[in-house]
Amino acid sequence: MTLLDVLDLIKDRVDGTLSYRKSCRMMICGSCGMRMDGAAVLACKTRMQPIVSAGHVPTISAMGNMPILKDLVVDMSPFWSKIRAMKPWLQPGYDEVREKERIVSQQQMNVINKEALCIMCGCCVSECNSMEADPEFLGPAALAKGFRFVGDARDAAAVERLEDYNSEHGIWDCTRCYFCNERCPKGVDPRDAIAKLGAESIKEGIDHDMGAKHANWFVTSAKTTGWLRETELVPKTQGIIEAIKQTGFALALAKHGKVPPPVPPHVAKDVTQSRALYDLVKGQGVDGALGIVQGEHALSRIEFEQESKERERVLELEEVAE
Amino acid sequence: MKVAYYKGCLASLSAKELDISTQALAPLLDIELEELESVTCCGAGDIHEAEPDYYLHLNARILAYAEATGADTLMTICNVCTLNLRQANWQLKGDESLRERVNRNLSAVGVPPYSGSVEVRHLLWLIAEGDGYELLKEVAHKGLKGLKVAPFYGCQILRPSKIMGFEDPDRPWSLEAIIEACGGEAIDYPAKIKCCGFPIIQAREETALQELIQPIEQAIDAGADAMVTPCPLCHLSLDAWQSKLRATTGRDFSMPILHLSQLIGVAAGFEESELKFKRHVVSVQPVLEKLQA
Repeated sequence: MTLLDVLDLIKDRVDGTLSYRKSCRMMICGSCGMRMDGAAVLACKTRMQPIVSAGHVPTISAMGNMPILKDLVVDMSPFWSKIRAMKPWLQPGYDEVREKERIVSQQQMNVINKEALCIMCGCCVSECNSMEADPEFLGPAALAKGFRFVGDARDAAAVERLEDYNSEHGIWDCTRCYFCNERCPKGVDPRDAIAKLGAESIKEGIDHDMGAKHANWFVTSAKTTGWLRETELVPKTQGIIEAIKQTGFALALAKHGKVPPPVPPHVAKDVTQSRALYDLVKGQGVDGALGIVQGEHALSRIEFEQESKERERVLELEEVAE
Repeated sequence: MKVAYYKGCLASLSAKELDISTQALAPLLDIELEELESVTCCGAGDIHEAEPDYYLHLNARILAYAEATGADTLMTICNVCTLNLRQANWQLKGDESLRERVNRNLSAVGVPPYSGSVEVRHLLWLIAEGDGYELLKEVAHKGLKGLKVAPFYGCQILRPSKIMGFEDPDRPWSLEAIIEACGGEAIDYPAKIKCCGFPIIQAREETALQELIQPIEQAIDAGADAMVTPCPLCHLSLDAWQSKLRATTGRDFSMPILHLSQLIGVAAGFEESELKFKRHVVSVQPVLEKLQA
């Protein structure tokens, strides 16, 4: 029995006024996102037997980061307006349909395989820490949708899209709390999609945002001294003028050794290797988002193994209960 | 137990007190540290985002040098290092052709190849489980006299759980177990598993401070005397940026923030030379006075 079955029973037998969204009952429509004990889940994917077996009474509530309309129903209009802002349609770069069919290889489609799995349920948005702090943040669902088009071999508007997504409330507003990856019921891993957008932006030279400058400084540090050049990170991210404005704050930190002097630099042993490694891999064509996509095969395998184990555990508990 | 010790950037620079207290604590818990020298920054998520292929190679290089020590554990003391290294490790272990390509590149620049035999584990996990936890009760002989300590996990030691895999990311228990074993009282509050804002504190300070305020405010309201964290980035955010919250809220929190190794160190009777509390921005003196009373 799933959480959705339990809600149906309650609505049928206990309180007919209970409101929640549902449709497909099979994890594909994305309607029944809600919170169980504070964590966003799809009600139709959540098996209840392990919870019953543990003697736990869960608290069910509406998803976060969206206004509640009634009971477990949230107003998803801010969610949809952010999805729309991503221009979620192909822009193929020609007006007339070509005579010959455009063949896209499996390898090309693999780049956006995960993002294409999104069912727009809102679970990733529910616990997004950056959106809680900045409600205008485009957020994990919209940005994952954005990468679904940026990474599509048939789309000709990638650079324009990246410019758009590099806005004040875009890619670099993500705080990497990883709640979205944790909550997504479909394995989209929106945080990874945001990192792919960052990587594609930097590859295309769209690096005006302070977030991109911050990220680039780590690369510079790794290939020059090996370790982060921590004290220079502020002027390299925010620019000299902003850094000067922070002088008072920096001096207060410096009193406690929190502003390590940049000279002499803290250089890692054998740093020439990490420099050589940079030059070597740069020439191998695994650029931008591909650097993340290449690791997904191995990561999806551990996810599959973990989910299989969990499924077996639940089935055993259900059998015992019957 | 011998471990390869990767201290990361911050413990070498602005959070030296973390390295110093870890080096003092490890032998008491029967952890022999072999510090890695020929290693670099893990990229802190930033290189993963800017140049992901380079990120994988840098981390493979760290793993290769860890493997070369003969230890089967690479011990970290930072959440962000833990996630970056564990993620790369899963990718290299689980995909032979990827590992072969990375190893070819490592060999070309004179780095030993990585066979995939190392496990990346945070100090927190080594202490919370098994022998470390048994020893902890003896080590923490001076105790914490019921000090109310708010555990702050931060993000990247809990999530994504498929990569971290140590404890339930929504109901973690390891810091609480250590606080209790040291004779303190673990304070519960919802934001203990949320973000400190540090990754965007320079690029989006306003958003970051909105995140930072939650755990500090909740810990104070729950009656905490101090907070403890396993991550030097969370520490920097909670400790050094705490003063900026005064400007936005008008409240002076003065919440002492301890590294995990320092909290145990206090309970073990460490001296200032091993704790280095003078390197904190928010004074830890009220905690020490409470323990002396």
